[in-house]
Amino acid sequence: MSKLGRVVEAVENYNQFVLDEVKRARSDKAFGKKLLDRWNEVKANTPIGTAPTGLKLPRLALPEIDEAGEIARYLLGEGLPGEFPFTNGAYREMYLEPLREPEEGSYGKNGRNGKNGKNGTKPAPKAEQEEPTRLFSGFGLAEDTNERFHYLTGHQRSARLSTAFDGPTLYGIDSDAEGVFGKIGEGGLAIDTYEDMVRLYDGFDMGSPSFSASMTISGPAPIIMAMYIAAAKKRFGPSVIPKLRGTIQADIFKEVQAQNETIFPTEASLRFLCDMIEFTTREMPRWYPVSISGYHIGEAGATPVQQAAYTLSNGFAYAELLSKRGISVDQFGPRLSFFLDCGLDVEYIALARASRRIWAIGMRDAFGAGPKGQMFKLHTQTSGRSLVAAEFKNNLTRTAAELMLAYMNGTNSCHSNSADEPFTTPSEEWIRLAAHGQAILLDESGIFKHTMNMLTGSPGMKAVERAVEAAILEEFRQIEELGGVLSAIEHRYQRSQIQNAAHRYEQQIYDGTRPIIALNKYANAKEEMPEVEMVRTPRAKKQLQVDRLAKFKKKNAEKAQRALDKLSDVVERGENFFPTLIETVEVCSLGQITGRLQEIVGHFRPMV
Amino acid sequence: MAAPIRVLTAVPICDGHDSAINTINLEFIRHGIEVVYMGYHRYATDMVRAAIQEDVRALGISSYNGGHVEFFSEVAALLKKQGADYIKLFGGGGGTITTVDAAAMRRKGVDKIFFAGTPLSEMVDYVHQHYGGARKRGGKAPTAEMKLARKLTEIEDSYAGGKRKRPMPNAQRRMPKGKKSGRKSGTRVFGFTGPGGAGKTTLIDELVLRLLNREPKVRIAILSHDPSVVGLGALLGDRATMINSQDERVFMRSMATRGQAGGLSPATEDCLQLLAHSDFDYVIIETVGTGQEAMPFQMGLVDKTVLVMNPDYGSRLQLQKIVMLDLADIVVVNKSDQERARTAISEIERRLDQNKRSQTTVSTVANRHRDAGVDELCDLLLEKR
Ligand code: B12
Repeated sequence: MSKLGRVVEAVENYNQFVLDEVKRARSDKAFGKKLLDRWNEVKANTPIGTAPTGLKLPRLALPEIDEAGEIARYLLGEGLPGEFPFTNGAYREMYLEPLREPEEGSYGKNGRNGKNGKNGTKPAPKAEQEEPTRLFSGFGLAEDTNERFHYLTGHQRSARLSTAFDGPTLYGIDSDAEGVFGKIGEGGLAIDTYEDMVRLYDGFDMGSPSFSASMTISGPAPIIMAMYIAAAKKRFGPSVIPKLRGTIQADIFKEVQAQNETIFPTEASLRFLCDMIEFTTREMPRWYPVSISGYHIGEAGATPVQQAAYTLSNGFAYAELLSKRGISVDQFGPRLSFFLDCGLDVEYIALARASRRIWAIGMRDAFGAGPKGQMFKLHTQTSGRSLVAAEFKNNLTRTAAELMLAYMNGTNSCHSNSADEPFTTPSEEWIRLAAHGQAILLDESGIFKHTMNMLTGSPGMKAVERAVEAAILEEFRQIEELGGVLSAIEHRYQRSQIQNAAHRYEQQIYDGTRPIIALNKYANAKEEMPEVEMVRTPRAKKQLQVDRLAKFKKKNAEKAQRALDKLSDVVERGENFFPTLIETVEVCSLGQITGRLQEIVGHFRPMV
Repeated sequence: MAAPIRVLTAVPICDGHDSAINTINLEFIRHGIEVVYMGYHRYATDMVRAAIQEDVRALGISSYNGGHVEFFSEVAALLKKQGADYIKLFGGGGGTITTVDAAAMRRKGVDKIFFAGTPLSEMVDYVHQHYGGARKRGGKAPTAEMKLARKLTEIEDSYAGGKRKRPMPNAQRRMPKGKKSGRKSGTRVFGFTGPGGAGKTTLIDELVLRLLNREPKVRIAILSHDPSVVGLGALLGDRATMINSQDERVFMRSMATRGQAGGLSPATEDCLQLLAHSDFDYVIIETVGTGQEAMPFQMGLVDKTVLVMNPDYGSRLQLQKIVMLDLADIVVVNKSDQERARTAISEIERRLDQNKRSQTTVSTVANRHRDAGVDELCDLLLEKR
């Protein structure tokens, strides 16, 4: 049995354990009393806040139960926020505004992580008080994206950047390569050298506790990560390395399954990835070196259950791989994070809740992880695929609804798509509205800022949660039957399932089973393709990028050869190549390094 | 019955958005269209070469990562330059392609762009209406490659149209062994067969890579087969996986079985004969991965038959039933890094001993870079007779 089989068993056993404990709570008086006492204590200790209208509310809402069996079901089955199995949230006081004045209750000494502290009463907020807003952006050259970053975070307490790269960068190719000129700076920004990386984060204090950068790239992730480190080192000296905070996506499994940006054979990609993880867990304790992503699986057309199942199973597969590599679960466990899609299908009512629970149980009982390694830390993005071109301003409503679902599911950070998503990298007008959408929900409305658990636990949500969990486990069993994640990948299992689901999805749109307003329902027959401001990179800029690269290559021509040879040696010897890579990027471009590595390990062979 | 329409589809370089094209491919084949699919992250030059070799009616591109005006224009220009603009260029990219872009692209020679929200049925209808029917080629004098591609189409279509039922008589077929045909000193034909999932396609592509590296002037032809969906079109996806074979020294043709059992198409024999006479150094033919109850290649059709298996072929009982084990010249046990490989190899060797022929077994891991087993296979195939 692979580890995934053990995870299935663990969840089944845990569910049985909860049922048994419910019974015991009812029959065993002492146990029942213990539970009741705990329950009353939690309630008594919950601080009370005041809404601007004067209404007083507890900062944690709990179900109205007072019977030991039901209390056991709640505390063990889903757990308080921040407690195993984390169904209600990875942390205790997410999104809540800080208590304004001393109130009744004793919160404050032992309370956890207010993720969305208000009004910056202190100059430098704690990391836990950062805004959950994290907007994905990138276009043109490094300096264009840098400007956008400053625009997006200028008014925030914390700078949480999320970086999108252009096609050539995602495929590890240089801007001067054959046939890619048109793609430079489109859909993301162009990075060829670590000097671009210096420009990209210019003006940001990369070592500051209120700065974090996320980089959405997987195929050439180790090279880009090395460039990031080299850039930080250049600006702030080597002492900055342990302070660096952020995330690099680096998720190879989902690339092979859905996003199609793998550039080395899977095995070699995984080796390079593990090299990088080994380095960052040791030298950069605040870095998240892999973001296990379902977003791309969902957007490629998977059903929500497939998305969660493949993502979680990929996560468990990484855990297995890293354990085999000799890194302990307590080291890597807390450094794994997740990224899910949130669309309008009913599963999204509880998809993240169910995922958090399965992850926690699996990591604890199949991998022996401690509390920090059990936590499913989640970034969510609203669904791009749910946004359509026809009467595209409706996309604001779609995204708003998805944001509600994402926050109801206790996401730790969130990207909201812009209404112009079907057309272009967002223009300023629409990205501003996208950012404001989150602020309206979290800051302006009272929905999330007063009480944790405000919208969780309805009978409907529970029903979805149960159904989704069962369906995910069923998917796990399928994968297990095929010999585990890697073997299922080789059988094209995930790819073919996703493709069939995608085809069905499109068919449902055109046969009307899936109403899409203004597209197949209440459509305006007269409307042509709408006119939208397109964000494109002018020719001159593309040329500038090519010229800069030429200069860099010329300047480093001699050193580059030696550096590449050194890197080759390390790779051929089978050593961890990451420390050397950090040196290589100082004199070599992305494409030069990719090319050399491909000579040694080969190219990825795509699957249909 | 009219011959099915063949189109080629692909996603441009530095673009992995394949969800739309996968859906469209599925929809096309359900409506009788044969789709040669090249996959994502593909160069314009490779697309054009493939479109010409496959002699498709149209080339469909799905582009999302921007730069589509440049990319489509590049493809259109290349088609035109080679005198192949009888192959129509069409495509889409959801909302990323604006009406203004589409107009510019049309001026550059693009036939049709489908905007976001177009029902799938509309695209299917368009292909049937505009890329079916009689074909006008016109224009420049065709290159040798185009001529060859067209002849292959003629052969395939004459079978589909019922004009031809049986392969051409022997007289018109291959030259006697050893006789020089053109500048080549005798074309060698290798037949690859084996069950699905054994890794034939990968193995052939790795072999091609070695041939290309060893012989700078080599010319290789590949005839690959994929099954037709019963009564419908077919997805011919080998080009997506065979990355090394997308090379100007390689002529590749993908064929659908069009209802014939046994792993080949009714037109295969004639097409193979034609290729064997067309100045290639090597012609490689790959069957569909089917059961191995019979020999797919008629006598004399190929010089060497390679059976590719993977270690988990099942119980030994089944091994006895694999007729191909008696007929193959070389038996490759691919994925030989799998647990069961050793047992499998010794079982197969014992089985081959019964035959008392000079058959060879080779163990390979085709998806491993620079695999020594594939080197060995390459040497074996190139051995002088
Ligand atoms: C799904 C999706 C993804 C998935 C792709 C999964 C996959 N395997 O395909 C994921 C999440 C992985 C992804 C990643 C990225 N994406 Co994306 N993605 C989309 C999204 C949401 C939908 C595209 C889609 O498949 N639609 C479904 C199809 C069926 O419908 P359609 O697009 O309307 O197309 C219709 C017609 O045009 C026609 N059609 C399309 N192609 C063809 C071809 C032929 C031959 C024919 C006949 C017809 C036809 O058929 C369709 C039905 O009517 C769009 C935004 C949007 N809402 O459109 C962004 C979008 C295309 N992505 C974008 C970007 C930037 C990226 C990334 C580069 C982001 C980054 N920097 O990391 C990466 C790159 C991925 C890669 N490997 O190249 C941008 C492109 C912006 C630009 N060009 O300026 C978009 C527009 C989003 C945005 N506004 O930023 N993406």
